[in-house]
Amino acid sequence: MRKRVELIEKIEGEAEVSYTYEGDRTVDAQIRFLSGRGIESILTGRPPLDALAITPRVCGICGHAHLIATVRALEACYPELRISPKAEAVRELTLTLELLQNHFKWLYLTIWPLLFPRESVTMKAVEPSRIAAEAIALLAGQYPHNSYAIPGGIVGEITPLERLGVADRLERLWEIFRREIADVQMQAFLRCDRIEELQRKEGDFPRILREILDRGWERLGCSHDRFIAFGSNGLFVSGKSLATRITHSLDLRHLREEPVEGSLALHVLYRGKVYETGPLARAMLRKTPLIREAHRRWGDSLPTRIMARVCEIPHLLQYAMQLTRDLDMDAPAWIDPGPLPAQAQGTGIVEAARGSLIHTVEVREGKIAEYRIVTPTQWNLGSGPADRPGVAQKALIGLHRDDQAELIFKSFDVCSVCTTH
Amino acid sequence: MNSPVRLLWLSALTCNGNAHALLNYPDLEHWQHRFEWLYHPLLPSRFSLGELLAQQPECDILILEGTLDSNFSKAGKDLTEWIEIFAPAARAVVTVGSCATFGGIFLEGGEGRSGLHFRRGERRDAYDALWEKSISLPGCPVQPEILASTLEMLAQETPLDLDVYRRPLLFYGTTVHNGCTRNEYFEYKIDEHRFGEMEGCMFYEHGCQGTYTHGSCNRILWNNVNSKTRIGQPCMGCTEPDFPTTGLWETRKHMGIPARLPAGIPKRAYLSLAGVAKAFHIERFRRPILDPVERYDPMKEQE
Repeated sequence: MRKRVELIEKIEGEAEVSYTYEGDRTVDAQIRFLSGRGIESILTGRPPLDALAITPRVCGICGHAHLIATVRALEACYPELRISPKAEAVRELTLTLELLQNHFKWLYLTIWPLLFPRESVTMKAVEPSRIAAEAIALLAGQYPHNSYAIPGGIVGEITPLERLGVADRLERLWEIFRREIADVQMQAFLRCDRIEELQRKEGDFPRILREILDRGWERLGCSHDRFIAFGSNGLFVSGKSLATRITHSLDLRHLREEPVEGSLALHVLYRGKVYETGPLARAMLRKTPLIREAHRRWGDSLPTRIMARVCEIPHLLQYAMQLTRDLDMDAPAWIDPGPLPAQAQGTGIVEAARGSLIHTVEVREGKIAEYRIVTPTQWNLGSGPADRPGVAQKALIGLHRDDQAELIFKSFDVCSVCTTH
Repeated sequence: MNSPVRLLWLSALTCNGNAHALLNYPDLEHWQHRFEWLYHPLLPSRFSLGELLAQQPECDILILEGTLDSNFSKAGKDLTEWIEIFAPAARAVVTVGSCATFGGIFLEGGEGRSGLHFRRGERRDAYDALWEKSISLPGCPVQPEILASTLEMLAQETPLDLDVYRRPLLFYGTTVHNGCTRNEYFEYKIDEHRFGEMEGCMFYEHGCQGTYTHGSCNRILWNNVNSKTRIGQPCMGCTEPDFPTTGLWETRKHMGIPARLPAGIPKRAYLSLAGVAKAFHIERFRRPILDPVERYDPMKEQE
C-alpha cells in the first residue's frame, strides 16, 4: 500500500495529512496537528476574570467567539445573573460580525486560490473583513483581541454614534456581497430554494459552483451526514440531525474527548459518535431552503458545504442589521453582578464561524481550578482509525485525485491553532 | 523602480493574531506594492514552506510571530534551524507581537519557551548575533500601522530609534494613556469608575495599565476607529515584558495607593498632585456626560 504525507499550509498554522492508497484510491487519511500551546493549563490557577483576556488569544481569526464563550461560562457560575437586552444584542452583533469576517476571508484566501490559482483576489477578502473588524472595534474597542464582554454585560456605553457606524458598515458589507459574491436581492435570496436561480446570477459564487459542477466534483467529499450545533440565538437553533431527521435535545454530559495518536488535537464525540459542526450543520438544523435543496441533490458534499458557508453571509447580515435596528439604547450596558462565586462551575456555548465552541470553567477558592475548551475543528478535523473515521477524514477517503483532497479538506475551514489550543 | 523588499514571515507558537491584524491595515494594497511576500501565513506568497526549505531564498526582512519553543518544528524542521537559515542574510529581524518579543501569553504553557531575545524582561543570549539588527514590535497583537510603517522605514533604510527592549520610540516612546478619552477623570483624580458607562477612569480600581504601558493605542486608533480604554476596557499592558500579569481587572494597591504609578512619575510627585486634585469637588466630573436634567452650561461656569 502506497502512503503519502502532505503538509497542509495556511490553515491558521499547519496540519499533516497522511494518505494511504490502494491503487490510486485513498483508503485512509490521518489528520495530525503537531503543535499546541496549552491554553487550558495557562488558565489554571488564575483569577477567573483573567480568562477574558487569555482565551481570545486562542485564535487570531475567531478569538471573539472565545471571549463570548468565556463570558458565558463565567456568568453561568452565578446562581442568578441578569444582563440587559442591549448588552446581549451588542455581544450578538460583534460575534456575528466576526463570523462574517471569517467567511469572507475563507472564501477568497482559502477556497478561491485552489479553484482559480492564477487570479489574485486578496483584496476581496481584505476589504470586507477590514470593514467587519472596524464595526467590531466601534463596539468592542479593537479587533482582533479585545475583552469588552464581562459578567453583567459589556464594559462601555454604546451611543447612537457607534450604532450608526455599525449600521453603515453592514450596508457596505451587503453591497460587497452583491458586487462580488452573488448579485441577489436579500429577501428573495433568504427564501430561495432554487439552485439554478442562484447559478444564473452574476458573481464569484455562481462561478465557483459552475466550476465544481463542470469538473464533475459535486458528489465528492461526502461524510457521515450527521450534524450537530450546540449554540442557539436569534438566528441559529441547536440540535442534531441525522441527514434531515432532527432532534433538538442535547446533553453536554454525552460529550467526550479522546486522544488521537501522534496528534496534539483531541477528537470529540457525542454519545460515542462523530458529528459535523459548522455552517452546513446550522443550515440543516434551521432548514435553510437553498442548503436543504443542495443537500437533497448532492448530499453532504463539497459544493453543499461551500454553499452553506457562503450562503450564511446574507443570513448573518440580515440578523446583524436587525439587531442594530432594534438595539434598546436606553437599557444599561452593564448590570453589576457582584463578585464571582468562589466555588462554581459554568459552561458557555457559542456558534463560532466553524461551528459549536464550548468552554467550561471550574472555580475553586476563587481561582480557576480547571478550564476546558472544545473547539468546532475538533469535531470536524478529529481523526480516528480507518474503520471509525472522523468527519473530514471520511470526506477524504475514496478520492482518486490529489488535487481534490486539499479543496475538500479546506472546505471544512480548518483552524489549526483552535484545534489544539 | 527598485526591486521589491522581500519579506519572510515565520510563525512559531501563535494565534496568528498579528498576521490577521496586518490585513486590517487600511492601505494594505498600496503598501504591499513595495514588498514581496516570500511567505506570509495568510496572504498569497511566492514559496510554500517546503519550497522555502528546499530553495532557501534570501530574504531582506525576517518577521517572527509567536512564542519560540525548543520543541517546535515547522514543516519537519526545528524553528532554530529556520532562523539559522534565513536570519543571517536578512537586513533586519522583526519580532511581531509580545509572544515573539517576550514570550507573551503562551510562555507558561510549556517548558523551553521564550521570545527571541527576552524571556519576559530577562535578556537571553541564544540569538545575540541578531541583536543589532532586531526590532521588537510587541503588542497582542501589534497595531498594523506600527508594523506597516516599521517595515516601510526598514525598506527605506530610515534610522529607527529604539528603547532598551529594541522597541521603536516612535511607537513605544509614549504611553497608552496618551490620547485616552477618559483622561480628564485621571487628571482630576475622580476615582469612581463603573463599567458600562462613558465616564470614569479604570486606573484606580479596575487595573488599567495605560499610564505605564508603552504603546500608541490611543494615538493610532485601533481599526481606525477606537481603543480598548476608550470603550471602557482597562489596558492590560500587552506591549510590556511582563504581559500577561495576574489579576488583570483589579488595581493592586499599597495602603490605598495604586502599586504601580504612571511611567516615570515619582511617588511623591504623584501623591502631591493627587492630594491637590482631590481637594476640589469638581461638579462636572460627578455628573453623567449625558445628564438630561442639569445640563452643563459652559458660559455660566466661565463667569
